[in-house]
Amino acid sequence: MQEIRVSRFELTSAHVFLAAFVAACAVAAVVIGAAPLQASIATIFLFAGVHNFMEFRYFAARMPLRWGRSRLYYTVGIGGVIVLAAAYLTLYFASGNWMWSLDSWATLSAMWNTAFVLWLGILFYLRGKQRPKSDWAWAFPASFLLAALAWLVPQYWSLSLVYIHPFIAMWFLERQIRRTKPEWLRAYHYCLASIPLFLAAIWFAFAGRPNLSEETNLFWRITQHAGSQILPGISSHVLVAMHVFLESIHYAVWILLIPLVDWRAVPWKLSEIPLFANAKGFPKIVVAGLAVSLLIVGVLWGGFAIDYTTTRDVYFAFAIAHVMAEFPFLIKML
Amino acid sequence: MKRLICLTAMVLLGSAAAFADIARPEPAKTPKPNTSKSIETGMTIRLDSEAKEARLIIPKSQIKQLRAELEQMDDDSDNTAAVTAPGSFSRTQTVLSGTFLSLALVFGGMWFVRSGKSTTKTGKGLVILAVVTGIVSAATLVYANAGPPQEARSITGKMFTQAVHMYGTGWGTVKLEARDQKQIELIVPNPKPATPANDE
Repeated sequence: MQEIRVSRFELTSAHVFLAAFVAACAVAAVVIGAAPLQASIATIFLFAGVHNFMEFRYFAARMPLRWGRSRLYYTVGIGGVIVLAAAYLTLYFASGNWMWSLDSWATLSAMWNTAFVLWLGILFYLRGKQRPKSDWAWAFPASFLLAALAWLVPQYWSLSLVYIHPFIAMWFLERQIRRTKPEWLRAYHYCLASIPLFLAAIWFAFAGRPNLSEETNLFWRITQHAGSQILPGISSHVLVAMHVFLESIHYAVWILLIPLVDWRAVPWKLSEIPLFANAKGFPKIVVAGLAVSLLIVGVLWGGFAIDYTTTRDVYFAFAIAHVMAEFPFLIKML
Repeated sequence: MKRLICLTAMVLLGSAAAFADIARPEPAKTPKPNTSKSIETGMTIRLDSEAKEARLIIPKSQIKQLRAELEQMDDDSDNTAAVTAPGSFSRTQTVLSGTFLSLALVFGGMWFVRSGKSTTKTGKGLVILAVVTGIVSAATLVYANAGPPQEARSITGKMFTQAVHMYGTGWGTVKLEARDQKQIELIVPNPKPATPANDE
């Protein structure tokens, strides 16, 4: 007796997630490709501050009440964030100082990049030591190799950070899906695989376009940020479009997708934050931190509305702190 | 701990005071643009099968004219040649990138051997791949940096052949002479090609 089984397609939440992601990316690629400068201004205005708030909220929920055997890891991680961010801001705001020539600024900048990759190497190594039967000593040669590149091709190195940063959020989401929504993992991998296709589509559709206007200081800053000076052979239209597309996904991940897969990341669920909910926690500090973060979001919106260009410059100078803060938490999740 | 904080604060304050006392640098002198005038003259290039070396013969009258131009330029330039300092960053860049590359290789090699991966089949395959890639990269670099052929590196009649044109440049030693003649003359040695021996 033979049994005939008919496998039927069932629409799951993972399918909906995949379809929504691809559709949103398609719409974003078309809109951003058509008007990259306007899209850049709008996305930063709307989402830059909010995504930082959501990141802070997420990290607050992931921070353990007692560091225990991770004491050294968190000390190096948080200490590195503070020292590197302070050094970056000093470099950024003092770069106009008469004592610093262009050469010394370039040297100090390369030194900062070196310190950054060595810090990452130490974090990976320390994390590896916490994992049973694993040797992550490869982190040191990898860091030295990256440090060599930072000295060898400093301009490309800095530009690569601008383009790599959006992918860090996608990596966070991958780790989070593994933990709290494993049934979406395969669909998410398809989503990730679709991103190079969208980037290629943007490239082929807009590579022939002339360079974007640099008639205002703001437009010039936007094209410089996307690397138009470092890659003069590529249309700045394509560079800005690709950068804004990746940044938009980055914002969507932090604001929408991470709270979607992890309910603990929903901002108002304070009871999910160990530092707040635990009897030995610091609820006042957590509430104060979140309130200040919300206030900064409002101040940023006000600043953007009054003087967009200056606020954008100040925002990107201080935004280095959130870029730094991502790494200890991401590496801890590996 | 308190002692450490006090010491750090003192060093920071001291360094701030020390840096505040550094004199503002002298504004850099910008060299005046070279306003050399050109001399219009004629030139003959002669291929000479008897010549052993290339010679550039300049008429004495034109040398006098050039000398006068040079003296005028010396007066205008105000000895600003020493103003341009060599860029030190490129040297720092080379030294530090080389150091970090060496460290990466040393630490990577140590990690590879220590991890025991070198004894596995995949490890051995990776080592062979790395060695082959290294040799190929080195060979590519060496050949990419190879200079143009001998014909383009000596001033002879062969320099004018089509095969050398692709390089767009050529150089070689030349003897400068001053003579009483009207035009500049470049005498280029042009040795006759050896005739093949007749076997019959």
